Amino acid sequence: MSIDQEAQNDIAKARFFAQGYYVWRGRAARLGFFVLLIAIWQVAASLELWSEVIFPPPKEVADALVIGMRDGTLPLAIRASMQRLCMGYGTSLFIGIPLGLLLGRKRLLDDTIGSLAVGLQALPSICWLPMAVLWFGLSETAMQFVIIMGSLMSITLAVRDGVKTIPTLYLRAASILGATGWRFYWYVLLPASLPAIITGAKLGWSFAWRSLMAAELLYVTSGIGSTLMMGRELHDMALVVAAMILIIAIGLLTDRLIFRFGESFIHRRWGFGGRG
Amino acid sequence: MTKVELINVSRVYVGQSGPVYGLSALDLQIAEGEFVCIVGPSGCGKTTLLNIVAGFEPPDLGEVRIDGEKITGPGTSRFVMFQEHALFPWLNVSQNIMFGLKMAGIHKSEREERTALLLKTVNLSDFSTAWVHELSGGMKQRVALARALIMDPDILLMDEPFGALDSQTRDMLHEEVELVWQRTKKTIIFVTHNVREAVRLGTRVILMAAKGGKILREYPIDLQRNRYLEDIEVVKIASQIRDDLRHEVLRATMEEGYHVD
Repeated sequence: MSIDQEAQNDIAKARFFAQGYYVWRGRAARLGFFVLLIAIWQVAASLELWSEVIFPPPKEVADALVIGMRDGTLPLAIRASMQRLCMGYGTSLFIGIPLGLLLGRKRLLDDTIGSLAVGLQALPSICWLPMAVLWFGLSETAMQFVIIMGSLMSITLAVRDGVKTIPTLYLRAASILGATGWRFYWYVLLPASLPAIITGAKLGWSFAWRSLMAAELLYVTSGIGSTLMMGRELHDMALVVAAMILIIAIGLLTDRLIFRFGESFIHRRWGFGGRG
Repeated sequence: MTKVELINVSRVYVGQSGPVYGLSALDLQIAEGEFVCIVGPSGCGKTTLLNIVAGFEPPDLGEVRIDGEKITGPGTSRFVMFQEHALFPWLNVSQNIMFGLKMAGIHKSEREERTALLLKTVNLSDFSTAWVHELSGGMKQRVALARALIMDPDILLMDEPFGALDSQTRDMLHEEVELVWQRTKKTIIFVTHNVREAVRLGTRVILMAAKGGKILREYPIDLQRNRYLEDIEVVKIASQIRDDLRHEVLRATMEEGYHVD
């Protein structure tokens, strides 16, 4: 017995709606969960178990966000942080990706520079701050230095590991197809390591972001980390929480906007998240 | 004229229990336009032989000569079709096929023209912009074949390229390879564990010993083209080779048994 065209359409339609249903149910659940969380927060605050100075209600945090946005202090802070981040993280990508590609290919470089990178990776990035301040003074350069040292190793090592796991088959195919010298690096090694590069870039981003926040916290200047610290000094808990929310929001947003895009690109070409 | 010549070629691997001979003092001559099929039990060194002729591995002793000249590495005059398709996942079907031409610096319009022609040859014109992962196993190997043919190599090395395909697809690809060989008279070295496939395709079948990386016997195949896997003569010769092969495996197993004692 065969299924007629109409039934087939019905099945396709049902599948389409079923998929949409789960997507929307997921979104609704997420939204509901956070609304519930804020509600609990509100209830806890209105019980007045703690002083408002220690435990501000959601409304005050929202006000702090709105006021900060209106008077321009928060946008300014965001801009300052993002500028540093783009400079530092950009430099890390610019050095880390080619370096990782080289380390993955050249055994001698990996045995030397590679092991140095592994060693430095063990050092929390904020430990670079004292050195940076002594070298560059209280300057933007010092901050960028901390970001670079915080993210460069993880990008380099992730790309290196990606290069090392490229199937031998691709490398052999490249050699008989005549891809040699720079052509090999540009047309084979770079695209073949793209999944690893995106992983490395993502990892590097989160390290850069953490390093920046740590540096801004310890270092009186502009930026979101400093806003957070200012909140502490002014005993303005609402501002502290507002800055924290902002930091989370920026972190999530970049993940959604930039890296999801890269990952879905890989998914379309490779057929799944990884290689093969 | 001799196209490929292996002179005293040895390749040794260091295993857990002493050295393992991938190939030992192997001599082999292959004439231009020959279709040589190499069969043998797994681990007999047939893939090693192919890798050495391709230039992927250097021989520890001896040398490989192509047109009388010693080879030192992979080159575009020899093309390998691997067991797995080895197509680049970041390129679509036609980009994969024309990759070699691009590396050779051939102009875009010529690249596209030749790619379109080959896509037609392997019946994949409708899939020129598809991604590799969207293709079936047979289609991937057809793309791999097109990528090999566009390079127009003198020597085509094939390492069980159709091993993982269903029998209908394999039959079709056998016909395509046979046609290409008849038309272009390329020298083909074809490694397989399927004896009947070897007899169906080759002008000569080489049976390798189970151990030690040596050639056990050679069988010239003088059957008429085009052949089919089901041809009675193909089956007859294949069953003879298979008997020899079975005998060889049994002998090697016995030998192993004595070793254990």
